Amino acid sequence: MALTEKYKELIDVAGQYGVAVNDSGNVLKVDGSVPSADVKNKMWDIYSRLDPNFRSGDLVLNVKVDAPESGKVKVVTNESNLNIRKGPGTDQPIVGKAAHGDVITLVGKANDQWWLVRDNDGEEGYCYAQYLEPVQ
Amino acid sequence: MKTFRLLSVFTLILALGVSVSSCKKVSDADLQKNAQTVLATMPDAAGVTVSVADQVATLTGTVKDDATKAYVESAVAGVEKIKSVVNNLEVVPPAPDYAALDAAINTGLTDALKDHPKVQATVQDGVITLTGEVKQSELETIMQKLSALNPVQIINNATVK
Repeated sequence: MALTEKYKELIDVAGQYGVAVNDSGNVLKVDGSVPSADVKNKMWDIYSRLDPNFRSGDLVLNVKVDAPESGKVKVVTNESNLNIRKGPGTDQPIVGKAAHGDVITLVGKANDQWWLVRDNDGEEGYCYAQYLEPVQ
Repeated sequence: MKTFRLLSVFTLILALGVSVSSCKKVSDADLQKNAQTVLATMPDAAGVTVSVADQVATLTGTVKDDATKAYVESAVAGVEKIKSVVNNLEVVPPAPDYAALDAAINTGLTDALKDHPKVQATVQDGVITLTGEVKQSELETIMQKLSALNPVQIINNATVK
């Protein structure tokens, strides 16, 4: 079955938000930004349903949530606290922690992986962006 | 007198002969050298060899695309006294270079897998391969982190517990 057929449901959602879909023959690449974490989660739910345990290796779903350069972000770790580090990397010393579910301030973005934040105690540092979700 | 005439004719023939043959010989060799000098200024023509015979240049070797093939031909044709060019160049598209992507992904992998000590990942040619052990509940998080590194493909060979 063609990949565009297998992932039709996902491609339809991508189409609604202008997310690029590229079919290289054996891997489908979905790449772009969506307006909210809900849409991103919905796309991952579809992916996980169409390809249980992500076993096929036939899709790269790289969707980011459109986040302004500054604003409020929520800590979306599984349950643990989120490390705030001195610099953008896990080799950097930890300068603070943000609790699961906390809403903290996004100050800027070092790159797609590491965002500069300020926690509610005023401590500034870098957090791994996958654990942060912009809040409106 | 007779000897002198003979000698001078002989000398003349010798001189002519040498000059004619040396002129022809130097010409093709010089043309080849000139063509090589032109090619040496073109980084895309590194895989090209040129030979010249009777003022006809023959190009052999490989180039990355049709445009380069045509460009190399016109450059050699432009060398003074080259009559024509036989273009036997073969177009071989280069394999994509994943070195930079692999390096970027490798840097990102350390951060991405920090919270998942039982899973290992390697990258080659932009393809991330997951091995080890992963909890069902953390698999999607891991996949999201890896996808954000913009790989070519993610192959999940990890055991899902």
